[in-house]
Amino acid sequence: MTEVSAATGLPASARGSSARGVRAGARFGSWLPTWGLIMTKLLEQRKRRGLMIVVALLTLGLPVLVLGLRLLFHVFDPKSYGPAGSPSVFAALCNPMAQFGFIAAAALGTSVGTTDLTDGVFRHLVVTGRSRLALYLARIPAGLSILLPLVAVAFAMVCLVTSYESTPQPASISVNGVSVPASLDQSQLNAWAQRHPRQEAAALAGPGPDEPGLAGPAPDQSSSPASMLSADYTASERTQLNPPVNEMAKIGLWLELEIGVGFLIGLGLGSLLGQRTVSTVLMIVLQIIVTPILANSAIPYFLNGQRLDVGVALDQLRPAGLAPGTGPHGPGRVLFGGRGVLNIPPMPTWAMISVIVGWAVGWSVIGAWRMATRDT
Amino acid sequence: MHGFRLGYILLILLVIGGLGFGVTRLRRRRGTEHPRDEWPRDKRPRDERPREERSAPPEPAPRAEVPALGRPPAPRPRPEPGPPGPGGSWAVETHGLTKRFGSNVAVNDVELLVPRGCAFGYLGPNGAGKTTLIRTLLGLTRANGGTMSLLGVPVPADRRRALARVGAIVDEPRFHPHLTGRENLRLLAAARGGEAGPRIVPSLTRVGLAERADDRVSSYSMGMRQRLGVAACLLGDPELLILDEPMNGLDPAGMHEMRSMIQDLVEEGRTVMLSSHLLDEVERTCDSVAIVDHGRVIRQGPIDELIRGAGTTVVRVDCSEPVTAAAIIEQARIAAGTAMAEAGLTVTLPAGASREAVAEINRRLVEGGVSVYGLQEVRTTLEDWFLSVTSRLGEPS
Repeated sequence: MTEVSAATGLPASARGSSARGVRAGARFGSWLPTWGLIMTKLLEQRKRRGLMIVVALLTLGLPVLVLGLRLLFHVFDPKSYGPAGSPSVFAALCNPMAQFGFIAAAALGTSVGTTDLTDGVFRHLVVTGRSRLALYLARIPAGLSILLPLVAVAFAMVCLVTSYESTPQPASISVNGVSVPASLDQSQLNAWAQRHPRQEAAALAGPGPDEPGLAGPAPDQSSSPASMLSADYTASERTQLNPPVNEMAKIGLWLELEIGVGFLIGLGLGSLLGQRTVSTVLMIVLQIIVTPILANSAIPYFLNGQRLDVGVALDQLRPAGLAPGTGPHGPGRVLFGGRGVLNIPPMPTWAMISVIVGWAVGWSVIGAWRMATRDT
Repeated sequence: MHGFRLGYILLILLVIGGLGFGVTRLRRRRGTEHPRDEWPRDKRPRDERPREERSAPPEPAPRAEVPALGRPPAPRPRPEPGPPGPGGSWAVETHGLTKRFGSNVAVNDVELLVPRGCAFGYLGPNGAGKTTLIRTLLGLTRANGGTMSLLGVPVPADRRRALARVGAIVDEPRFHPHLTGRENLRLLAAARGGEAGPRIVPSLTRVGLAERADDRVSSYSMGMRQRLGVAACLLGDPELLILDEPMNGLDPAGMHEMRSMIQDLVEEGRTVMLSSHLLDEVERTCDSVAIVDHGRVIRQGPIDELIRGAGTTVVRVDCSEPVTAAAIIEQARIAAGTAMAEAGLTVTLPAGASREAVAEINRRLVEGGVSVYGLQEVRTTLEDWFLSVTSRLGEPS
């Protein structure tokens, strides 16, 4: 039986809760989400089966499908079908994985940003007295803890198949039709060039009329012969050799970055608009229409405007292993040795970082602001 | 490279379209198999008792750690409701509270005092501003003017501290339909923090949802959602519960259960403030009410006092010649008004009239040659009083 105080008219439990309420009130003031809150936000999304299936398919589906088929073909008919892994398959899988992953991240981000509103639970959460900022921030680790492991598993699968189910690594590579020993560093390449001036000249002369050339635009003629040879050699290595472990690590980190940024933008946009469908469509439009248009070629007097697109900035960070070809600006100009596959001149590293951080932080701030001020 | 990009852009669109189509088909199929507001066929409880037993009232549920819905652990003396709460504060106090939406004033200079330890009804017609006032009190929307406090704690200045001791349902209780009742409460308990987590099971037991706690909310009926909403309120062991239209969507049995539960909560010393437009339910459930009309509180106080203070007494006269009787009474100037109804003649006595006025009516009618078969004082209900004080009275039905 609950004891009722004649003085207060409240049961003992309620009186206790008054004091506890004061203490709890102080805790509620914190804008930092608690572990329990993050876990329940994770549960809230994890239980959306339809969404989870879509996200898993967009992240894991492509490598599982492509590599699975290649492995099966190779097992049943090794004479007609070569090993499942190869440098070209590696690059051909990782680039679409970034695209699909961004869309998966956008779909999840917009869902995380709008679920409470559309289900009508947001007002229940606000009425608990918990800081609205804490409610917003709890969504970030919850969403990322779904996405990032899926991308890591998918990428690990690609790396394992490329490393262990690939053709034997050649001792030499072909640079514009000239055979050059593989895995040379810069000084070893210069020494080789001094010892073989005729082969160097042939390599610099470019591919013959019947010979396939390297992908990408023509090399910059103002560069020195040594740097041109180095660029061609590096590009040839990317297409003919499996990427080394450190390059794979860079690519993995870049994939996680691209997808993490996509999630943050989707979350902010979803929280701002409060409508999942519209937000998801806008994110897909950004990724597969706006970014390719802006990155197609340099628009006169609008180059810096083009560089403000997060897709352009993230592309410039794309590791060299995913961007074969010498290109007009050579590899290794920015972090991760990235050069990008898009056709506009690179921006300074600080500008690229500013654009990426600006999009991620900016949309997070907008989403948090809208959540803190929204009438429900 | 451009061809490559275009290729997998088309692939992406194809995959997204296919997934969307598949998910839609899947949802449709599931929707036909499990209608949202009904028991799934395979989970419907089977009642194998004889028909006569099934129609009898249900047996009381076994006593749990916390009382089952509508069944308090033991009767206790109900604390006297009244303004002097602990610390000398009201449960809810507003002064000059105003909320506008453009030119529309939804809450208009509201002065509201809700005493502690009682069931308080916030009563008004649809669109009177009841929900807006509750949303403003809870910080779901900002006020344009005035001051307010919950349990003596000023809001919104110290809103977090105040809300730690408040449980509330605003509009209909809505939850994540894809989660179970228990998971939804886990989510809200995590937001509350502190000791809310261990209260999940007792709260579910108390509202009678323990057995359905692991079913998805999408399979709950409206009544079950209302009860889950009350369970969510109880997670914080609140001193004040604010329930917005808690009887909405409930069948008579559900309304009875909700009424009992509210009374039990009050008996435990909590304050329950509920908004409603169901006059009968408020009269049965609440001790005090405030009447709101067009955003403004026009009367408030204990129900009995308000009805008594209405000041008029209506007497129904059963007689042989109602028309003659009406003329006699009007000529004698002992009534504020007379009216002919299907049931006969009704006479409205002036404010403050004593019971002697009823005897005087009888005497005059007998002297006038009218045979009087009966005189019945008609009790004023909350509904009569409500209609007399709100603008609804003059509106065409």
